[in-house]
Amino acid sequence: MWWKILIFVVMAAVIVCSFVTPAPQEQIGPASRIFYYHIPMAWICVVAFGMAMVFSIRYLKTRRPAEDDKAATAARLGFMFCALAAVTGSIFAKITWGSFWNWDPRETSIFMLLLIYGAYFALRSAVEVEERRAALAAVYAIFAFLTVPFLIFVLPRVVPSLHPPDSVVNKNLEFTMGVTVRWIFFTSLLCFTAVFLWMFGLARRVSTVGRRLTEREM
Amino acid sequence: MDGNYVALAVTLAVWVGVFIFLLRLDKKVKKLEEKLK
Repeated sequence: MWWKILIFVVMAAVIVCSFVTPAPQEQIGPASRIFYYHIPMAWICVVAFGMAMVFSIRYLKTRRPAEDDKAATAARLGFMFCALAAVTGSIFAKITWGSFWNWDPRETSIFMLLLIYGAYFALRSAVEVEERRAALAAVYAIFAFLTVPFLIFVLPRVVPSLHPPDSVVNKNLEFTMGVTVRWIFFTSLLCFTAVFLWMFGLARRVSTVGRRLTEREM
Repeated sequence: MDGNYVALAVTLAVWVGVFIFLLRLDKKVKKLEEKLK
């Protein structure tokens, strides 16, 4: 229980600090405070899709249904954080560029990711035989993740973008943020990761309980 | 500055809501797990 209270307190402190300290990017103004939430959400989306790929590989090796369950759970949470990153990004876009959606390379990338992982869920729901569904979904999740580094890290850097460049590190991999901003940002990143892991554990337990209840009814 | 405090209050309220939701879900799952033992 203590770690849940710790997450609550630290995240609340991050929220307060993110609004009472000066905006992270002066030229953009207060809207840049969304940076403390938007980037961690995008980060969690990459981590979750990466986890979905790892569990899918493990499923193909072991053929244990639990691995498939973990992959699906990670993909579901990744999709949710991806959608949240898209929503927070479009709020920033409206304030900064005057429109919720501008088909900026990063916006296009996140839209493509939502489509790719949307298709993953469509595939899962289209196949009824459990083993076949798990195998097909596992192969798809592995190929789907191969697009993630390209869509998130490469494409937005090779095509001209409206997004602020080098908001975390520059081309020489040096931090572009001040010390205070860096502290708030990385603490936020840690909190989001902890909340994601908590949610992942919970979702896994919910699915195990659901499976047991169905087995009992049968 | 006022807008800042409104945004702060809304973000805090969202976080408290999410946290309470997760805690309640955690408790419910724990009860079900104990029942199924």
